[in-house]
Amino acid sequence: MENVIELQNVNKSFKGFQLKDFSMTVKKGFVTGFIGGNGVGKSTTIKLIMNLLQPDSGTISIFGLNYKQHEKKIKQRIGFVFDDNIFYEHLTLTEMKRIIKRAYSNWDDNLFRYYVEQFELPLNKKIKTFSKGMMMKASLTIALSHHAELIVMDEPTSGLDPVFRREFLDVLHRLMENEDKTIFFSTHVTTDLDSIADYIIFIDKGQHVFTKESTQIEEEYAIVKGEKELLDADTKKEFISIRKSNHGFEALTANKNRIEEVFGQMVLIEKPSIEDIMFYTKKGAEWHV
Amino acid sequence: MQIIISNNSKEPIYEQIYAQIKTHILKGELQVGQPLPSMRQLAKDLDISVITTKRAYEELEKNGFIYSIVGKGSFVSEQNNEMIKERKMQVIEEQLTAAIQNSKEIGVSRTELIELLTMLYREEE
Amino acid sequence: MFNLIWKDLVLQKKGVMILLPALFGYIVFNPSYIWIGIVFSIVIIQDVFAKDEHSSINKLLNSLPYTRQEIVTSKYIGAIIFTLLVALTMIIGGMLIHKEIPTWKEIMLMVSLSMLAVSFIFPFSYKFKSQYILKAFLVLFVVYMIVITIFIHNLNDILREFVQTILTLEDPSVFLVMILSIMVLYIFSWLLSIRIYRNKVF
Repeated sequence: MENVIELQNVNKSFKGFQLKDFSMTVKKGFVTGFIGGNGVGKSTTIKLIMNLLQPDSGTISIFGLNYKQHEKKIKQRIGFVFDDNIFYEHLTLTEMKRIIKRAYSNWDDNLFRYYVEQFELPLNKKIKTFSKGMMMKASLTIALSHHAELIVMDEPTSGLDPVFRREFLDVLHRLMENEDKTIFFSTHVTTDLDSIADYIIFIDKGQHVFTKESTQIEEEYAIVKGEKELLDADTKKEFISIRKSNHGFEALTANKNRIEEVFGQMVLIEKPSIEDIMFYTKKGAEWHV
Repeated sequence: MQIIISNNSKEPIYEQIYAQIKTHILKGELQVGQPLPSMRQLAKDLDISVITTKRAYEELEKNGFIYSIVGKGSFVSEQNNEMIKERKMQVIEEQLTAAIQNSKEIGVSRTELIELLTMLYREEE
Repeated sequence: MFNLIWKDLVLQKKGVMILLPALFGYIVFNPSYIWIGIVFSIVIIQDVFAKDEHSSINKLLNSLPYTRQEIVTSKYIGAIIFTLLVALTMIIGGMLIHKEIPTWKEIMLMVSLSMLAVSFIFPFSYKFKSQYILKAFLVLFVVYMIVITIFIHNLNDILREFVQTILTLEDPSVFLVMILSIMVLYIFSWLLSIRIYRNKVF
């Protein structure tokens, strides 16, 4: 399968933060969710992908091209959404469109009108009067109006109400009916990922933790609940992290089948949310509450 | 084609889809050669990720329920013996369930029913 | 890249529409074209610069299919266009109000001095922030006042005479050398700004 984004052994350090030997790939035709806590390097990675930052070392290629030689070619094919307002506030959406339109050779006014109508966006109101949700819809509209093959979004759903989050996911679902589209977005609202993400990349403290298919996560990971007496040196090895309380234990495993073999009916096995996986992986080992 | 998935089930979503499409095929609701919705269309309709439907279709293909033609989509396969057997089993299950329900209504016990079944089975031999 | 210059013209449309008539007003009272022209040019150019200075706007421009080099270059070309626009307004204003247009030497001097100022202002603004320019000007002004009051009391007159001498110079070659050196400086400043902007973090 073709990789649309490829980061290889990328290093980037700032004061008090470091992206360490970071490698990842994003596959064409799929939605990849990028998860991790606050300040672990999600935005930095997205900036590197957009060439807003250059790596200290390592290589970045988008559509198999590098930014040194093909910057404009690459950016023609990307639609982007950031979590803050990146438009001129004193302009209206129509005025903003006129400015951005000229940058893209593939701009499609019909598509722009389609999304404006669908999102019920006001064309002649100043952008600074837009609510957070409208702002996001406006960004998405601009990002989708030039037939971009890759959509890169930094925390697109943060601060949005649940109704609009669903609408937003619907738009992405419809976009993905076309197999040439690729979506990459960071989020810490992990419920966004449950219904749409094909791949999940987990970053923590500037390091790549895992890249997995969402179906693989469903198959491998499980939350296991049971009595503390079941835990001993041997059985503990099966868990990534264990939370113990006076009433029993709860743990995350990445080897669901093995757990079923070992414990059988003695434990309760549940499907973990992505949030569970993030939480337990970050906690590590075992702890007591 | 009706597919109902539960997000809260312990069973992975792709398995739920696999099982339900399989049932549709075995019951004959989907006929040989009939096209299935595209993976991407189905993913959109069910509000799930593309990779989930992809995985379900791959399993269906691996087990011979469907075949796919690049650029055209996926279609219901001609069923082999194994499958016909499985399909018959499904019919048997349904008929037996009906028999059990009828028995319960008129108070025929499990033992009585088994006896009746054994007797009828011998007669057919 | 010309899209970027076009964008600045569009964004500055309102500002220019207010400032240029104001320039007319000044010309009515004071036909000393050079200084007013420079001040107006710089105010407009700085305003254009400040509009794009927010890191969020930098994020936008750099995510669009433009290179950093183009973004900087567009500002340098735009600065010349805005200066010429001011010069044009002065010519029209002089014609309408005083029935005499400024001499070509006055126009050339005004454009050259504006470019000279921009050559220093732009790299400074890219390196730091344009709001510091105002502070830098204040410091320069204070230094200038100190120099006038303490060291060279007639500095103002010297400068005025200097400008007059240049304007009355018959030999065009001196003029040409001056313009050429300012152009060289402008290009040097442009290259320096590209260098500074290339490594900026947004």
